[in-house]
Amino acid sequence: MNAQQLGQNIKGRFGPDVIDCTELGPDQLYVTITPESLVAVAEYLYQNEGCRYVINGGTDRRQQRNAFLITHFFAHDEEKIYIAIHTEVAADDPQVDSITPVVPAANWSERETYDMVGVVPVGHPDPRRLVLSDDWPEDLYPLRYDVAHDVHPPPAEGVAPERLEPPEGASVVPIGPFFPVLEEPAYFRVFVEGEQVVGADYRGFYNHRGIEKLGCSVLTYNQVPFIAERICGICGYVHSCSYCQTVERAAGIQVPERGEYIRTIMLELERLESHLLWLGIAAHIIGFDTVLMQTWRMREPLMWLCERISGNRKTYGMNLVGGVRRDITPEVYGDIRGVIDKIGEEWQELAEAIPGDSTLMARLQGTGILTSEVARALGAAGPTARGSGLAIDVRVDHPYAAYDRLEVTKCVHDSCDNLARVLVRVEETLDAIKIIHQALDDMPDGPIMAEIDEELPAGRQAMSAVEAPRGEVFHWVLTGTENRPERWRVRAPTYANLQCVPPMLEGNALADVPISIGSYDPCFSCTERMEVVDINSGQVRVYTEEEFRNEYERPAHE
Amino acid sequence: MIASKLKEAILSLRPGRVTLKYPFEPHDPEGDFRGYPEIDTDKCIGCGGCAAVCPARLIMIQDIDQNTRRIVWLLERCIFCGRCAEVCPEDAITMTKRFELSTDSGREDMVAECEVFMATCQRCGRCYEPATPLDKIMEPGLRQDEIKRGGQDSPYEPIQSE
Repeated sequence: MNAQQLGQNIKGRFGPDVIDCTELGPDQLYVTITPESLVAVAEYLYQNEGCRYVINGGTDRRQQRNAFLITHFFAHDEEKIYIAIHTEVAADDPQVDSITPVVPAANWSERETYDMVGVVPVGHPDPRRLVLSDDWPEDLYPLRYDVAHDVHPPPAEGVAPERLEPPEGASVVPIGPFFPVLEEPAYFRVFVEGEQVVGADYRGFYNHRGIEKLGCSVLTYNQVPFIAERICGICGYVHSCSYCQTVERAAGIQVPERGEYIRTIMLELERLESHLLWLGIAAHIIGFDTVLMQTWRMREPLMWLCERISGNRKTYGMNLVGGVRRDITPEVYGDIRGVIDKIGEEWQELAEAIPGDSTLMARLQGTGILTSEVARALGAAGPTARGSGLAIDVRVDHPYAAYDRLEVTKCVHDSCDNLARVLVRVEETLDAIKIIHQALDDMPDGPIMAEIDEELPAGRQAMSAVEAPRGEVFHWVLTGTENRPERWRVRAPTYANLQCVPPMLEGNALADVPISIGSYDPCFSCTERMEVVDINSGQVRVYTEEEFRNEYERPAHE
Repeated sequence: MIASKLKEAILSLRPGRVTLKYPFEPHDPEGDFRGYPEIDTDKCIGCGGCAAVCPARLIMIQDIDQNTRRIVWLLERCIFCGRCAEVCPEDAITMTKRFELSTDSGREDMVAECEVFMATCQRCGRCYEPATPLDKIMEPGLRQDEIKRGGQDSPYEPIQSE
């Protein structure tokens, strides 16, 4: 089945409700439907077609169409199709049916769309504020075109997030608002009965930076990749890549093959770097700091290698719309092979030591169970999904850059526990080394940047995803006038994976909570597109109530 | 269990000491590292190309009068992408390898500024040729960029009045 056939299926079933149905190649489908049929179409895609929910996005199109555009994105992984379901909601009555009751994974993003654009999801089971700070005015929706990108509403007194009540008889153990292990802001309220976790509530987004707004209001096409790269401090390249691919796809720009190979190599180097970092952190969480020291030692030559290739150890700044800015010259090939082979060797030794270490196994095996059903219902991505037996990997399912010419293995484990997520990453690291070798072997000569002679057309749209170390990064761009996107929507993998945390914690002992949260490599900065906290410094600071309140009530700014 | 611990111990002991004596022994960056952008204000022709591509939007242009253009680089906000150096038609900007940029002498160290005599320039932007239309100057003509560090209540004043 391709996008056209899937479009026919939807038209056949919902005929009069389908206003428009367009494909972009065999792998992208854009369907505009009436608001009344939204829930039915979403349910059909999720239940009958077996699609995975990706994200929801809202666009203020009052100027062009006197309406808000609400878009639900789905992925059909087996058939390699991304689907966007557009619905136009009249500007004078901004509400639309919530699909969360039939597609649970839509929970957060529908709340975010309400926060940012002000379209009410009617029938949402948990319509609490998600993204905006608690003292943000009720009727100020930052992503509307008539709200300035640098608006600073005055702070308010005496506000607090709406909290879930713990089940009867349970006590609340707060973890956060600064997550103690990763030193990033995240606030879990864990409900316990004795040692046993019976539930959890999450409030995050403490430092939302408004990057999507910047991309649609003040930046230009070629400035966005650098801001996109700063969505995450660990895996930023995936975001700039995904953004560039989206714009290239929308405008019909073909990146030269060498450019695609360079992107692939940088992406895999980043995966290596991120997985090494993660294993160290995970070991640190369970008090095994030897592994932290060793993985980070193994990682350092890789950082220097990236500095040599790109000009920076992280945030490579290599991407522009149309290709890459720097070539990987043949003189560096040997260095790359040397560094990754050394990592592979030591990694193999480390990986072989893990199963024999009963202390490690006691902490990992059987803890933090995330069943396949829950993982699918909540749209888990990346190693979190693959550790729960879901064989999804964007590199294989929706190939991009040079991945369609390389051999990529999906590393899947089905024990659904913390150990599974460790093993998935251990195997992926070794696989990444193989992929880099392949890419270096096959790297063609030629230009690295496409020639762009004309301004990009307005009103085009495209989707693109990249398999980040943490899972699927998804971008959607609607091109606009003035040399910038009209709307740019980003979904980071932790956005989906974080929603899996409360069910994952249930039934665990309290002591297993940190490693369970750590096991899906949470990146709060990706999710919130906020400032990254330096995990190297390890500085612990105790806030007084007043200091915390000042910090907490500060309005979002860039 | 014991075998595993032994393996881990060997893995840890083998590399020996790897910690560098930085900052007592300098550790130079690798390859074409992008550090502090050195700006040769004598070469600047005032085209504004750097301001058009800067993702951090830290390059401000003020046309004081028909003949004088002032350009201010607020490098404290620099993200070291090197786009300005890439597009400058006069090669007035060089990405150096300097990365130790802490300063105790005030923010002036991270601000560069120049005034260019533009004669009867129409500010059409033709002296800056973008590689693609995506890098074009969005605001040709006379400009009065607000020199702020961001936000409405920024304490920043133009450097010359300090």
